[in-house]
Amino acid sequence: MLTYIIRRLLQGVIVLLAVSLICFVIFRYMGDPVLTLAGRYATQEQIQEVRESLGLDQPTYVQYVRFLWNAAHGNFGKSYVSRLPALGLILERFPATFELATCAILISLVFGVGLGVVVALRPYAWHSRAIMAGSLGGISMPTFLTGILLIMIFAVYVGILPPFGRGKTVDLGFWRTGLLTADGIRHLILPAITLSTYQLAVLLRLTRAGMREVLAEEYIKTAWAKGLSPVTVIVKHALRNVLIPVVTMAGLQFGELIAFAIVTETIFQWPGMGNLLLTSIYETDQPVIVTYIMLASVIIISINILVDIFYAVLNPKIRYD
Amino acid sequence: MKKFAWVAAIALMLVALLAVGPAAAKSLVVAVDSPPRMMNPHGDDSDAGLSYMANFFDGLLQRKGAGGKLVPALAVKWEHPDALSWKFYLRKGVTFHNGNPFTAADVKFSFERLGNPEVSEFLNTGKQISAVEVLDDHTVVIKTSEPIPWFANNMHQIFIMDKESTEARDSGEVQNRPIGTGAYKLEEWVKGSYVRLVANEDYWEGAPAIKNVEIRPITEASTRFAALVSGQAEIVTGVPVELYEPVVNNAKLEVVSRPARRSIFLALGNKAEDPWSDIRVRKAMYMAINEEEIIEKVMRGHATPAAQIPDPPTIGYNADLKRLSYDPDMAKKLLTEAGYPNGFEVTLTGPNDRYVQDEKICEAVAKYLAKVGIKVNLDVKPKSIFFPEVADGVLDFYLIGWFDGTYDMGRTYFKIAHSRDAEKGFGGLNGAAYSNAELDKLLESTAKILDTEKRKETLQRLNKMAMDEQIVWIPLHYQEDLYAIQKNKGISFDPRPDRWMVYKEISK
Repeated sequence: MLTYIIRRLLQGVIVLLAVSLICFVIFRYMGDPVLTLAGRYATQEQIQEVRESLGLDQPTYVQYVRFLWNAAHGNFGKSYVSRLPALGLILERFPATFELATCAILISLVFGVGLGVVVALRPYAWHSRAIMAGSLGGISMPTFLTGILLIMIFAVYVGILPPFGRGKTVDLGFWRTGLLTADGIRHLILPAITLSTYQLAVLLRLTRAGMREVLAEEYIKTAWAKGLSPVTVIVKHALRNVLIPVVTMAGLQFGELIAFAIVTETIFQWPGMGNLLLTSIYETDQPVIVTYIMLASVIIISINILVDIFYAVLNPKIRYD
Repeated sequence: MKKFAWVAAIALMLVALLAVGPAAAKSLVVAVDSPPRMMNPHGDDSDAGLSYMANFFDGLLQRKGAGGKLVPALAVKWEHPDALSWKFYLRKGVTFHNGNPFTAADVKFSFERLGNPEVSEFLNTGKQISAVEVLDDHTVVIKTSEPIPWFANNMHQIFIMDKESTEARDSGEVQNRPIGTGAYKLEEWVKGSYVRLVANEDYWEGAPAIKNVEIRPITEASTRFAALVSGQAEIVTGVPVELYEPVVNNAKLEVVSRPARRSIFLALGNKAEDPWSDIRVRKAMYMAINEEEIIEKVMRGHATPAAQIPDPPTIGYNADLKRLSYDPDMAKKLLTEAGYPNGFEVTLTGPNDRYVQDEKICEAVAKYLAKVGIKVNLDVKPKSIFFPEVADGVLDFYLIGWFDGTYDMGRTYFKIAHSRDAEKGFGGLNGAAYSNAELDKLLESTAKILDTEKRKETLQRLNKMAMDEQIVWIPLHYQEDLYAIQKNKGISFDPRPDRWMVYKEISK
């Protein structure tokens, strides 16, 4: 197990190097930040001065090695746009994204698994068919459409929920949370539902498939025959066995929700990391974009490794060699 | 019973969640289209950035309200003793937000800071200043290295910082917390969420009417609209033309529009081997474009036709210039005369995230030109890729927009019309490398003209040469700025020509 973890960590480092290299190559074609930084009326000479002051006149490989060296020392450079440390800017936005992603994954887990079980129990009932049709919609509807529809219905026509932002937040010093105020929670509802829709549909379908398979097993029939209560049979005997792949999937999705909540955050003007990333892309703010992508890679790689380990704990028969 | 208690509790919680009241009176909530990049007044020269800074800081001069007239601010008057000197008499008794008195040392510090690429996007202005002489605590003379006729016209954009606190604080603090003399102090800035301003009760012009302002940057247009309709914002900037109808039809809302200063036009190169170096071809391309229809269909009526680049209040605007009429038959005839009866191919480049309907305008232009036999290859791309190409001067034919913050076309023409000359710093955004020796000469002669009347006359002549005789550009239209406000809140808001949101000018 230990060798396995070490090997995975080493692989992770290689992936990070590859990601950073790709980022650097792509940025050669992503536009020139110097132009805006020198100002609209700067002359060619002044533009060159800015380029040199940022070290952007150096060849790409020199810039790349310098970036790696600094990153290894925990320094990801300063944003070209706000001239503040890039890592700080991103981490400042982390709580908003984390709270949004956590709520979304909770909604998907509760409703995805719950509805999945309901559907599996009576697959041909009309409500099951309706739920399955709805899940198909959840998978195929793009996030931006879900978000805009929810805003139109609940914020514009009915007018009971706010359309954007985080509402009142409480600053705990290291973490600015919206979960402690009623206003903050009201603001969380629509974006969390939007972000969870796709994941919810996936988890629902996964649970349903697993449940239908397990419910047909001999040991479930035995359990029913023993006269156990339906709750015990369904939850304790059937669902538990179905949950392993579901939890794995949810874990992997959680990483993605944190890293790529960009569309939802933009529509709801949610002040999270994805929102920052999009603004930075518009402004060609390379240090922020690179740092973001590196951070996202670290999160996803870590969650992958954790899920692998967790999987081995849940199912001792699994061996990694 | 227990079950009922639970249901009741949840229902009560929901009701409580929905019943959070609106904000208190004498405060204003505004949803704007772009977030602030930083709180350093010299670090961002875009109007979106200056719009924030104008509330925290003052310039030596300011432009007031909807008219945009240049009037004193931190300087009570100014003189122009010789071609290279600008003398400012400073206002007495003004203090910064931290209590420090405003003196000539702060002016010297601020102007010297402009030349530092680490903190300034006003490098061009900064590098043209050769010395800032402090005569006494309230008189300064700013010397430029060459004559800059429009120097004072730009003084509303150069904000004065407090020397002591800017030097004492680390750079991160300076980027995050503005300390100026402005009508508002920064209360809180939560990046991505809001910027809260609180009135500066000791403001030298008198405390502003609105005591608290909350600015909420919302980049997504439909969300900004939702914020307005749901009553979460009282003024919204940047209403997209697609959403104009729903706003007008909503009884609670009112649209405030004003002609924008920015003109949209097509720039065209004139390399000898290209068909479009022939004036007849240029004229044909101009006449083939149905601008009336672009305004009606693409801009949905929210634009006015332009016959030149500058807008009426700008020095250099020539009222005699008229658009060439839309006449595709004449265009075809001119093309045949020039030896291109079957047309030719040309690439039209343009941004797709910069101006109102920019991509759609390019598409429309391509269709009009196709009708007279010119095959247009569209190359529309994000501004972060488009503008570097303009700066490199590698394009043939492109769409761009412009207005000059100094209200004097001199600076702009040097940037976009003069032949590219890296050494002298001319033609930096002349993206199709247009070059005309006669025009260059006339333009260079204006640099030394300081007399306003004479400048006006020469720049008007230059404008006529560019638009009438040479067709350097094909002008399209002036944009219109659209704002929406809540109707019954008694908000009095008259938009500024530069799109800045200056809250001391708004009352409620």
